[in-house]
Amino acid sequence: MSRNAGSDVKAAYLFIAPAMIGFFVFVGYPLVRSFYLALTKYNGLTDPVFVGLGNFRRLFTTDPAFWPALRATGYLVVLYVPLSLILGLALAMFCNQRFAGVRVVRTLAYLPVVLPAIATITLWKFMLDPQVGLLNTVLDRVGLPQSLWLQSPKMAMPSVVLVMLWGVGGTMIIFLAALQSVPTELYEAARVDGAGPWAVFFRITLPMISPIVLLQVILQTTAALQTFNQPKILTGGGPGFSTNVLMLSIYNNGFPSLGRIPQLGYASAQVWVLFMIIIAVIALTAKFSSLWTYSDSTSD
Amino acid sequence: MKRTLGVTALACAGLLAATACSGGGSDSGGSSSGPVTVTVMTWESAETNAAIKKALADFKEDNITVQLLDTPAGNFGDKLASLTQAKKLPDLFWCGNDTEQQYTSQGLLVDWADKISTGDGDFKADKFVPSAMDNWKTADGQMGGLPSLMNTYGVWYNADAFTAAGLTLPKAGWTWDEMYADAAKLAGKNGAKYGLVADQLTSADGPFTMSMYSVSAGGAPFTDNVNHPTKAEADDKYKEGVEKLVAAIKNGSVAPPGYDASNVQSLFSAGKVPMTFGGQWLAAGFQTDKPKIKYGFAPFPQVQTPTTLYDSVGICTPQYTKNQDATFKVLEYLNTKVWDAVLPASPVAPPAYTPAQTSYFDALTKAQQSTVVDTVKADLSAEKTVGVRFTTQWAQQVGDLTTANYQPILSGKKPITDLPAYIDKINGLIKQGG
Repeated sequence: MSRNAGSDVKAAYLFIAPAMIGFFVFVGYPLVRSFYLALTKYNGLTDPVFVGLGNFRRLFTTDPAFWPALRATGYLVVLYVPLSLILGLALAMFCNQRFAGVRVVRTLAYLPVVLPAIATITLWKFMLDPQVGLLNTVLDRVGLPQSLWLQSPKMAMPSVVLVMLWGVGGTMIIFLAALQSVPTELYEAARVDGAGPWAVFFRITLPMISPIVLLQVILQTTAALQTFNQPKILTGGGPGFSTNVLMLSIYNNGFPSLGRIPQLGYASAQVWVLFMIIIAVIALTAKFSSLWTYSDSTSD
Repeated sequence: MKRTLGVTALACAGLLAATACSGGGSDSGGSSSGPVTVTVMTWESAETNAAIKKALADFKEDNITVQLLDTPAGNFGDKLASLTQAKKLPDLFWCGNDTEQQYTSQGLLVDWADKISTGDGDFKADKFVPSAMDNWKTADGQMGGLPSLMNTYGVWYNADAFTAAGLTLPKAGWTWDEMYADAAKLAGKNGAKYGLVADQLTSADGPFTMSMYSVSAGGAPFTDNVNHPTKAEADDKYKEGVEKLVAAIKNGSVAPPGYDASNVQSLFSAGKVPMTFGGQWLAAGFQTDKPKIKYGFAPFPQVQTPTTLYDSVGICTPQYTKNQDATFKVLEYLNTKVWDAVLPASPVAPPAYTPAQTSYFDALTKAQQSTVVDTVKADLSAEKTVGVRFTTQWAQQVGDLTTANYQPILSGKKPITDLPAYIDKINGLIKQGG
């Protein structure tokens, strides 16, 4: 190794040091620490007491809130992910057209993403109020039946998902970039061959952007599994356990309402269960992705 | 030059660290013979805090300075949790009965039990509302704080809506059957979906509120003790109360579990909620906001005996406070003098220290809130009282069991015959948690 090469290595270490330190301090250590806490009874006030797998046993056997939380999380994922993908893609295709004012439309579609989430969710809460909310007022004016929205166990989760879809502009922008990278020659060739719009979409557009669809499935599923803001602000997890998703359950155990003692060890165990679920979902999605994603093997 | 800069930077860092460490906690105190700063943290609004600060300025004691910490009123629980974990709690902080019980049992709070029973002057245990003092004692007789304000509860009603519906206004002695009948007549009128919104009956604490029915009917409460329970129970009278509530929810008279009660106060003021369970503290807000409706506050209905909920908030002190004598002097001043200065402008609650209650009732009388005065007085002298919720460490688990079992019974999704199974599960927790 030359003298210059040695100093290059040192410089490289110096450059990556901040990132590595950041990783170990803010990711590595908390990860290890949370796993340790998951094996303890810890309230944050007194020293942790080692209980082995006791927290996990309680989670799966006696906690009346855990299985409903898993069900609510699963329901949210099943409802939100396909809708966000379909709506995001539809919006992206619309915004990919050439028409006057397309930039304004793109801006409006993306605007909810840059607005403060807490403020917009709070506004939605007012709009969904069954007695004085805008949505029921409009439904009443046009003679349609009203809904209890967030206060009905059946409608609460769809209402939460509706509010989440308000931020679909983020999905749209990635799809828009993907659509714009599809070679135009393919569309021209299809047009020459007399392909209709549906054939173009299913035979060209969708296969060409399928790697991005895969990326979006993973991103949206991961985000949906970690949903917190919307149920926290809109429903607090209710009515009953209908919107009490795992992240909310974790938060309520770790940072309970005034007067309650935190259960940080127990909440850590829940965190690890959620972590394992996310890993499993990503692994399964990636494993079966070759069945439906297009890959240009000739480019290797 | 480099060396000078380095030393200066180190000195600055040291100073900064020292300053940071001294902020907010009892470290700012001093030895028992020297000057002492006693820090106080409340959950009150900016206006009430300003009034408290003004009243504290009149505290004159050699070597003791009182510092009211600027704390946003919201998220007090999070603030308290982080200060507790950082071991930087102020010398005196507002706390609920459940916080006091749980923190005391963890050895985190100073024990005032001896001081309040053997101290000099009038500031003694027998001058406090007895039920509050009993409730603030832990199983082994410790008191990690003292109750400061009483929470009393009752039924707020829209007098205009009652009159328009030709109903008699609720008053002491009215019955549960009358309340449900009134709710049925008021439901669906003038923009009001339900006749009665009673979050206390349908929330996670609902089973405790239902004790009012069974106890008033001569039955047993939901639990024998909220601090040190030995059992939970749902006897025939209790079951009868649940059946009536289920029927009222089913016919649309009473709001079901899950009803968002966060804006009930404004809906009540707007005439869209004709009747709601609530605390006396709403009177202070109504006094400021002046609802357009004519309203009143009545004691809870009864079956035979007047029965009400009891609860109190107070002031706690961390076990590591530097100077307990100085802190206790400020605590005494807060309980005996400060309310006289604060409550006339904002009559939120009657003080637990009975000699200080006069200013509260005078303020309400002056504001022509006579029904509130009568109901609070009736509550404070109620023959039978029941607790609001468990204060135990496993209270959260009981809440989850209630959501999973009791609330579906109220909604009609589970039969009332499931009540014993729910009670058995809670008794399992009591046995396990102690």
